[in-house]
Amino acid sequence: MRRECWSAAALALLALAYLLAARRYPLDTLATPGPGIVPLVAGVALLGVAISLFVKTGRVGAPAVSFGPPTSRAGLADPATTHETGVAPIRPTDPTPQRVRRSPIVLAVALVLYAALLPRLGFIASSFALVVIASRLMGASGWWRPAALAAGVAAIGYLLFARWLGVPLP
Amino acid sequence: MSELFVALTPANLLACFVGTVLGTIVGVLPGLGPAGAMALVLPLTIKLGPTAGLIMLAGIYYGAMYGGSTTSILINVPGEAASVVTTIDGYRLARKGRAGAALAVAAIASFVAGTFSVVALQLAAPMVARAALAFGPAEYFAFALLGLVLLANLTGGSRAKSLAMVLVGVMLSTVGMDPLGGTVRFTFDLAGAQAGLSFVAVTTGLFGVAEVLASMAEPVPAGAVPHVKFRELYPSREELRRSVPPMLRGTVLGFLVGLVPGPSATIASFVSYGVEKKVGKHRAELGTGAIEGVAGPEAANNAAAGGGMIPLLSLGLPFTPSTAVLLSGMMLMSVTPGPFLLRDHPSVFWGVIGSFYVGNVMLLLLNLPLVGVFARVATIPPRYLMPGVLVLCAVAAYSDNNNIFDVWVMVVAGIAGWAMRALDFGPAPLVLGLVLGPVLERSLLQALTIARGEISGLWASGPAAVMLAAAVVAFVAPGVAALVRRTATHRT
Repeated sequence: MRRECWSAAALALLALAYLLAARRYPLDTLATPGPGIVPLVAGVALLGVAISLFVKTGRVGAPAVSFGPPTSRAGLADPATTHETGVAPIRPTDPTPQRVRRSPIVLAVALVLYAALLPRLGFIASSFALVVIASRLMGASGWWRPAALAAGVAAIGYLLFARWLGVPLP
Repeated sequence: MSELFVALTPANLLACFVGTVLGTIVGVLPGLGPAGAMALVLPLTIKLGPTAGLIMLAGIYYGAMYGGSTTSILINVPGEAASVVTTIDGYRLARKGRAGAALAVAAIASFVAGTFSVVALQLAAPMVARAALAFGPAEYFAFALLGLVLLANLTGGSRAKSLAMVLVGVMLSTVGMDPLGGTVRFTFDLAGAQAGLSFVAVTTGLFGVAEVLASMAEPVPAGAVPHVKFRELYPSREELRRSVPPMLRGTVLGFLVGLVPGPSATIASFVSYGVEKKVGKHRAELGTGAIEGVAGPEAANNAAAGGGMIPLLSLGLPFTPSTAVLLSGMMLMSVTPGPFLLRDHPSVFWGVIGSFYVGNVMLLLLNLPLVGVFARVATIPPRYLMPGVLVLCAVAAYSDNNNIFDVWVMVVAGIAGWAMRALDFGPAPLVLGLVLGPVLERSLLQALTIARGEISGLWASGPAAVMLAAAVVAFVAPGVAALVRRTATHRT
């Protein structure tokens, strides 16, 4: 519930910041509409939706109104579905909870560094490093396999895109 | 119409083959969906030229629908959301030793529905395109608005959250030059943002990078893939007989649902399953491993993929992330979809439609004998697959404008998309808001200018009035329904 309130507040903040930045674009008249009209409408509408989300989640125990099918993501079958049919799902391998929590954050930081270093180190070196880090974070053991994978990905990427397709990679 | 045979040139056949194989693999793999995969290969398809490039992209789009069923049936892991419902009876059938029959029926249902939807697309798209020639800015505005409201209603999960994401998408679409006056907005003096946020960068971030980040926190399916021999792929006469009615119902339902904005393939499969539970002759067996539970939904999701092409090809308006990527591919290849596509680029229009026929045959021939190979792809550990996806995402984003700024956009979109998933905000409404935002803005401003500032000009024509009224009803109805339900519960 708290998380929902925070996300509603973040959306409201985004809408306010956007509206603030949109102030510099003229609205003009309805007959000759200016570039500020749609940003104003979109910003106010998002603010309204964010407030309604905040109010809705503020009501203790208020369920989220759902229309349409369950939002099942591709991946392991919906537990409710497998429960309903009585079919035992294939046992997933148990991940280490702490590592699972941490590794996406580390990979996100690696991606930021990748974007920062791409123009300086170039495509091959930075992609090599990203693949090694990503495959290690995803559970690859040792250094040889990640390094071989990274070399393959960087080489194929370079040959396919820079050489064959002529993309001027950094 | 003779341009249909354009699809049979060697280059286009090869593009179709590569597209359908890639699509099947994407359908099999949990995580990466068709929209993300299509965005990844965009740079490659541009090199191929408009017809072959779009044939390859379309092949990925409908190939994913075929592939998704394979792992649903064999290992209870749906490769993509549209195949979730197939796990219910498909996996149960596999456990009963009828995996081969279920796979064959899924492939045949996909083929029948895919072919039907192409015939319907071939007949309907030119008609809709001709009708759309009479569409002015007010009609386009009303249609795009109706599409976005329906999308927010049907995406699943919280409607307010979907609506918020649509609006964030529209807001992001205002970055860069305004579509009429050319005023540069919200760029904060960043040179890379002048032309607007790259759609490819946002899509690869939201559907590629975010998926990789999210997949790290998910358990990896482990377990042996059952080996299915080729001779086991024959359904019995009884199974085939029972499959025909749900297959036909699923096909028609799926095609109609495909015309509606939203995750139509997924919705179509659920609707088909629901219909079979109500009207099917063997409805009591559904959920225990009935062949109808595979035939109906598999036909429905494939037919929906075809139906979704009509608004794109005839109006230039995509209502699913995959067709939005297709639109982006067309724009990059200087092909503008919409009413004039048939007149200006007949070989592209008919070539892509012709490739659907060829692609469906290819998929049927590929999927039956190679089903075991594709199923094994799903068990490749992500640590060997996902790092490569990250690099592909970066290259796809960069090569859109040969600009590092777009790589930054991809990284930010990826991290934001990962956070959004954790908070139950779907990326699809955002992407469609981003694509339809400029259409909405341009048509609204043009309609107002034409009507000399009179707001009533937006609903002066019959079609525009009907579509706007439908948008208002679609916006208000769920709230009213919830209110009525609440009042009824209070009374009881």
